Parts: sequence; structure tokens; C-alpha cells
Amino acid sequence: MRTLDATIATPPIAQADRRRQLAPLLLSAPLLVLLLALLVWPLAHLLRQSLLLTGAPAAGLTLHNYFEIATVPRYRHALTWSLELSLAVAAGSTLICLAPAWLFTRYQFPGKRLMRGILILPMTFAGMIVGFLMIILLGRTGFIPQLLERLTGKPFLSGVGYQFPGLILAYLYFEIPRATLTLESALRKLDSRLEQAGRSLGANRWQVFYLVVLPVIRPALISTFAVTFSVSLGSFGVLLVLSIRRFTLLPLEIFTQYIAPPTDQGLAAAMSFTLLAVAFATGYGLRQVARRMEGGNA
Amino acid sequence: MKQCRIIVLATAFLALTTCLAFAEPTVIQYDCIPNYANWGAVTKAYQKKTGVMVPPDMKGSSASMAALEAEGKSPKADCAYYSGAIGFQAASKGLHEPYKPKGWEKIPAGLKDPNGTWWTVHTGHVAILVNTSALKGKPVPRSFNDLLKPIYKGMIVYDDPRIHGTGFTFVSGINAVLGGGQDLKAGFDYLKKLDNNILKYAKENSYNELLRGEVPIWINADGNGLKAKYVDKAPIEIVIPAEGTVTMPLVMGLVKGAPHKEAAKRYLDWLLSNEAQHLMAESFFQPVMPVKLDSSLQAKFPPKSAYAKAKVLPLDKLAAQADGIKKRWEKEIEGGQ
Repeated sequence: MRTLDATIATPPIAQADRRRQLAPLLLSAPLLVLLLALLVWPLAHLLRQSLLLTGAPAAGLTLHNYFEIATVPRYRHALTWSLELSLAVAAGSTLICLAPAWLFTRYQFPGKRLMRGILILPMTFAGMIVGFLMIILLGRTGFIPQLLERLTGKPFLSGVGYQFPGLILAYLYFEIPRATLTLESALRKLDSRLEQAGRSLGANRWQVFYLVVLPVIRPALISTFAVTFSVSLGSFGVLLVLSIRRFTLLPLEIFTQYIAPPTDQGLAAAMSFTLLAVAFATGYGLRQVARRMEGGNA
Repeated sequence: MKQCRIIVLATAFLALTTCLAFAEPTVIQYDCIPNYANWGAVTKAYQKKTGVMVPPDMKGSSASMAALEAEGKSPKADCAYYSGAIGFQAASKGLHEPYKPKGWEKIPAGLKDPNGTWWTVHTGHVAILVNTSALKGKPVPRSFNDLLKPIYKGMIVYDDPRIHGTGFTFVSGINAVLGGGQDLKAGFDYLKKLDNNILKYAKENSYNELLRGEVPIWINADGNGLKAKYVDKAPIEIVIPAEGTVTMPLVMGLVKGAPHKEAAKRYLDWLLSNEAQHLMAESFFQPVMPVKLDSSLQAKFPPKSAYAKAKVLPLDKLAAQADGIKKRWEKEIEGGQ
């Protein structure tokens, strides 16, 4: 199918066409300049900084900072913990949000707009605010432990906010809007006649979902996963407030290396670059996978 | 026509207010946390008196020093406030410019640099701040040793010493209070045991959480506890530990290359005046200048005898060890290795 498209799409390009292509290029020139100024230049600076020793920049380019990330247990753990947390949160929020996204695109019911508004709200919160919310909810004297104490006599779940489950919950909370919005726009494009056809051919609801809907929305699920993964990977405001013990994340290590003396800007830059490479590779890789799927479906 | 006039008026008003906002003279002080040492009221009084605004800045000591280092030759701040050792370190890194504010000669020796690269504005002491209603019937701890009891599990907070000066003073001073030697082993052994009872090593300010009882026991400056008790009327008890405590000079310095240098000098002069020193004392930090406090205010401070065993740590030695102590804390205590 794709090879056929390719042969059709390559007629000899006329001069006029070429001129017509020039206009969009010229129009996007300011954007390109901006990208160069705001992305390429700082990145180049960051890369250079990551290859220099903070104490002795004259010693020349070295991979020492990257080597340190790989060998110092604290930094290595920070990287693996960041990956694990982001994977879990991305998978969790994509799955959780499938239901509300479906609900919002397919059904009309009173209070829908309000419910949707409430669900989207956390998107505007900074990570630190979500952290404070978590303390109010599940801190030592949080709302839930106090309620449980009143009901059962024991403050169950007290202080869970300062532990790993609290962190996961907080991350899920602020990824839910992003996941819902991304999935919603994909579901809206889904042709409901496909499902009707499936139903009329005798498939039950689950079979229709599994055999008809899922293959079509799979690229959307993957891109939702990619978006939530990369946002989780870069955020640390929640952890800054919760200060979970024996635990750290790579972005928090970058923050500490940069603001808490003794600082090491070279190491911080190397960590930033590592994080960036991981985020970019996952985003790009997943997008390729999604595109291939879409191609396969067409 | 009428609409037109409204637009013109609105634009004129906007232009005027923006002009005023930019024209308003400011002095930037790094580490100017309104809830700490009464900086909120101190800066407000200064603005009322002179019209000069000193906006709040939520960076701790270490973060302030790091910011000045990162900003290099074009600093954003005019002056900075630090916990003693960090201020000393910042001064020795050449981040400050020598200045001797008015009244400088009255600051006791040892609490200022002879060249004026740093000086003390007030002192505090490490204390155990206890929200008694959050203890739920458990006894109030009276000493650092009491804090190791298992009944306080998950109830104790102290600040991350890599970020906050008070946390650093505690972590580096506990060894001397417990009579430890040069290797700081006694101190770190204690911190390791204390780790079992810790709720978190706070990276954010925990003052409000202490008031609410979310944090029942906060190892922090006595002044913050007295403020919580007398100003915010929370059920807080300020315990000066039986083993003794550490005196922490809180110091300031004029930033090298300060963007509003002359205004900053006038502000730094004023901070040693009777008025400013009294205001700082209202948040229960001990004034460094010999000012006579109202007897009602004086009565709220713990008796002098409670501080008999307080140790003044030599800032130079502390500053030299600061990086090592923080790294060691990160590895052995926070990292649990």
C-alpha cells in the first residue's frame, strides 16, 4: 500500500511548485531562528559543560561526569528510579484515563462539563502544590488518616504521603489531565460505525473493544504513554515537598547538584543531558512505533 | 469618543503605574524568608520608613551562596543573610565586599570578620521545638538522647543540611555537644540512630507544618519556636536540650558587585539600629547589639541558665569542613549507607 503511494507521489516537480514551497520556508524562518536561540545554543552549552570537569575546566573534554553517573550508586539509582517511576506512572495514567476519555467522547450526561473540568484541573498545578495536597490528604495528620481514626480508632495510612505510594499517587494525579486530553482527542476521531459494524457481525461488547477499537486507538495509547512518561521523567516538585527518605530522582539530583553547595555544575549538566537523551529516545522511538502501527492499519 | 477617552486614560494609568513600579527603589536580599527571624516585619518597617522595598526571597543559606556563585560577576542580590558557617564560606569565596555598617564596633569579636566581609546580625540556638498537642500524651523530650526513644518514631524532622543553614548547624554541631572528637564520629553515630525516628529531612520550610502538628518535633532555631508559641499562639514548647546546644550566629554580608550598593549599605546600617534589632528580637532571635528589650519581651526568652552549656563553633573550621560534612551526611544518613 505504502509503496504504491510513494510511486504516485513523485511526479517531476515544476518550477512554480518549487517557488510555492519557498514561501512556507521563509515564513517559518523566525521560528527556526527562535529554535536555534532557545534550544540549540543552550543545549550546546549544556553538552560542553557536561564534558568539562567543574573544578578543572582547563583539563579538557572528558566523559568523567557521565562515568560518575554510571558508577556512583546514588546517581545510578536516581536514574533507574526515575525510569521506573515514569514507566509506572505513564502506564498507570494511560490505563486509568481510557475510561473517562471514553465516557467524555461517547456519552452525554448532566454534569459532564463540570466533571471534565475537575479532572483537567490538576494540569494547572505545579508539582510542589500537588506535593502539599498529598500532605494534607495523606500526611501524618492528613485528612484520610484522621477520618479513619474517627471511624476505626486507629490512624491508618498516616504518613503514607511521605512514602513511595504517596509519590505514585501524586504523579498519577497530575498526569491524569494530560492523559485524558490526549486520549480524548484520539477517541473523538474514532468512527463509531466501525463498532456498529462489528456489533452487527455478532461480536459482543468486549470483542468489539478488543478486536475493533483497541487496534485503532493503539497509536493514541502509545503517544499518551510517551507524553506522560516524558513529563514524569522531568518533574521533581512533588518529591521536593514530600522528601521521601532513601529515595531520589535524577531531576532532584540535578537540582541539588546545582543549588546545594558543594555544587558540581558539570555533573548536573551531564545528568541533564542523560535525562534529555532518555526522554528524547523514548519519545522518538514510541512515535515511530505508533506511526508504523497507523501505517499498518491503513 | 467616550470609549476612546477611557482607553487613553487606562493607558496613561498603566504607564504611570509601571513607571512607579520600576522607580520604586529596592534592595535585594538573598535568604529573606518572611517567617524566619521576623524578616517579614523587618522589611515592612524599612519600607514604611524609607520607601525602599526589600522583597522576600525563599532561598536558604546554602542555596543563596550557590546562587551568588552561579551569577558570578553580575549578581542579582545586594546582600545576603546566612547561617554563620555558610556566610563565612561565602565570604572566603570572595562573594562579599568588605563593609563595616554603622555600630559595627559594638558587635562582639568572634561574631564578625575584622575586615567586614561578614558580621552577625543576631544569634539563635539549636533547640527541640515540640508541638505538645501533636504528641498525644507522649512525654516532651528533654534532651537529644530522649529523641532516640522509639516512641518518637516518624515524628521528628530536621532540615536537609545540604540546603538549609539551620540543618547544617545541627548536623555539624551535634558532635561537639555530645563531646565527640575531631572525626565527628559521635555526631554521625547519633544522627544514624536518630534516623530511625525521622519523618523527613525537610527541603522546604516546616514552620507551618509544626504549627498544624503535621510535624510534631522539629529540630530548628529556638527563635522560630518562640515565635510559634507567642506570636502564632500554637501549643509549642521550646526545649533547650539537657546536653547543651549550639549557638548559631546569623550573619550578613554585602555582595560584591551589588546592583544597588549604596541603598544596600543604608539598609545594612539600619539593620543594626535599635529599631531593627528590637524587631528581630520580637521573633526571638537574640540581638547582637547591646539593645535593651522591653521587659515583657525579655521575659519570653528562655532563662540565660538554659544556655549555659551552649557551644559557639569556630566558623573558620566549620566552613573548611562544610563540604565534607554535607557529602558525608548525604552518603551515611540520607543515603542510609
